[in-house]
Amino acid sequence: MGLNNQLTRTYRRFMMGDGVYLWLLLPLLAFVALIALYPLAFSFGISLFEYRLTDPNQTKTFVGLGNYLKAFADPSIQGSLQATFAFVISTVVVEIAFGLGLALLLSAENFVSQFIRSFLLLPMALPPLVIGLVWKALYNVDFGVIAYYAKLIGWDMGHGALATPGWALPAVVLVDVWEWTPLIMFIFLAGLKSLPTEPYEAARVDGASRWQSFIYLTLPLLRPTLLVALLLRTMQSFKAFDIIYATTAGGPGLETTVLNYQIYKVGLVFFDMGYASALANILLFIVGLLSVIYVMVLERQQL
Amino acid sequence: MQRQSRLEKSFLAILTVVVLLFFMIPLYWLLITSLKYGRDAFALPPQWAFFTPTLKNYTDALANSRSLMYIQNSLIITTGTTLLSLALGVPAGYAIARTRWRLLNSSSFFFLILLMVPPVATLIPFYLVMRDLHLLGTYWAVILLDTAFDASFVVWMMRSYFLDVPQEMEEAALVDGASHFTAFLQVALPLSIPGIISSALYCIIYSWNDFLFALMLTSPKTKTIPLGILASFSAVDISWGQMATLSVFAIIPAVIISLFLNRYFVQGLTMGASKG
Repeated sequence: MGLNNQLTRTYRRFMMGDGVYLWLLLPLLAFVALIALYPLAFSFGISLFEYRLTDPNQTKTFVGLGNYLKAFADPSIQGSLQATFAFVISTVVVEIAFGLGLALLLSAENFVSQFIRSFLLLPMALPPLVIGLVWKALYNVDFGVIAYYAKLIGWDMGHGALATPGWALPAVVLVDVWEWTPLIMFIFLAGLKSLPTEPYEAARVDGASRWQSFIYLTLPLLRPTLLVALLLRTMQSFKAFDIIYATTAGGPGLETTVLNYQIYKVGLVFFDMGYASALANILLFIVGLLSVIYVMVLERQQL
Repeated sequence: MQRQSRLEKSFLAILTVVVLLFFMIPLYWLLITSLKYGRDAFALPPQWAFFTPTLKNYTDALANSRSLMYIQNSLIITTGTTLLSLALGVPAGYAIARTRWRLLNSSSFFFLILLMVPPVATLIPFYLVMRDLHLLGTYWAVILLDTAFDASFVVWMMRSYFLDVPQEMEEAALVDGASHFTAFLQVALPLSIPGIISSALYCIIYSWNDFLFALMLTSPKTKTIPLGILASFSAVDISWGQMATLSVFAIIPAVIISLFLNRYFVQGLTMGASKG
């Protein structure tokens, strides 16, 4: 009888009361553990082995942290780290500056601004691969529109921007800028909308010019928004893949082989799984760190 | 704000036009290329307006069994991912919004961070797991991995949505003797349909746009539209018309989203979900 009561109470607790929430959450938790967490743990496991799928014997040799140590000495990783930082820094800086400019330009509530703003949702909703391929076609040396007009103004692009060392990275950055600047613009538009109006009135009474109130009021007041935009885009920029695959495939040389693309090449083209997992875990660590900071910032700002 | 001088006004107007052109030209090019005959697509100087328009590329694409297969595969994977993500994510979002258990509450941050994991980092081990289970090349492989990301997003979206749904009606139902489960199904769920629709549209766009997962996890028979576009681009004779036509199919969800769901879409992106 006592046991039965106990069971009934436990049953009540889990099926009737607050416990039901656990049951509603459990399927997703189980799914995510199986589909995302287990592979991530598995990935840490294989990163400790030398494991090539192309090896006919499928041998796994334990190498400890060997793959991680190898990464720090590998010249192609150094090259791709360089490409990654060049890509991430230039996309983030250009997109934030351009995005802030767009937000200021299009913040008015008139028909033209509203129309352009809703149009600017498109680039980030499009399949990134399509964006990359369209730009590849535009950059094409023989038939491409960009190369044609460049030649008209007396600038011969040679093998085309995507294949010329020194130009491939800026060319890919431009594609990323096209895709993601609108997002930064929307973040800043939300930030601008939440600015208080009193300081501006006070500044006007004091005779400040618009430029002065922008520098001394708008920019400092937008600092929290800027932080969100900066962290978010940095994180996303580390994950760029589709547009690079579509435009340069990492070339010429390693100029546009960002770490994310390098991992794909090592793991899913050359099937050097152990090494690729180690590299992926390094990227995961960088992005994971950024995302924890980002979540803390978001939580503090109560977004 | 001080009044703008006329010079300043015209400068800003020119700037606006330049910005608009920068963002519009690639899409305009895509659209007109899909409407051109082969020879016109390659013509230089580029024909921006005065060319003979044709729907030949579209009729060709719709008569081509392979194009139809890509479209069908994309539809299957997108539908599967969206349904599964909603089935898992909506109840979980409700649970996180309503529970008083601290641990369950803060599990929402776990899903947020999961959204930001670089896709390639999960793809490599997932590929090996799918290979061992002989699921490579099936729809399931792509659907399962897409769902891991999309469902994490749905949880976030639905959690904030349920937090805004007034609890009084659910409490009244509980007082009347309904179980928590019934309160969820019959009271909270019908009130949250707009949130479910936005979550669904978001899942649709992400699984429809996905390239990397489909690239590694599909077989020639389960390839999706982005892979079809890639194939028409890298074929021996580049068929820009076909590529453009498939691309136009590929961007339909994006166009719908930006017309109808803009607010939620930007909100979703700022949660860190982005694979491109």
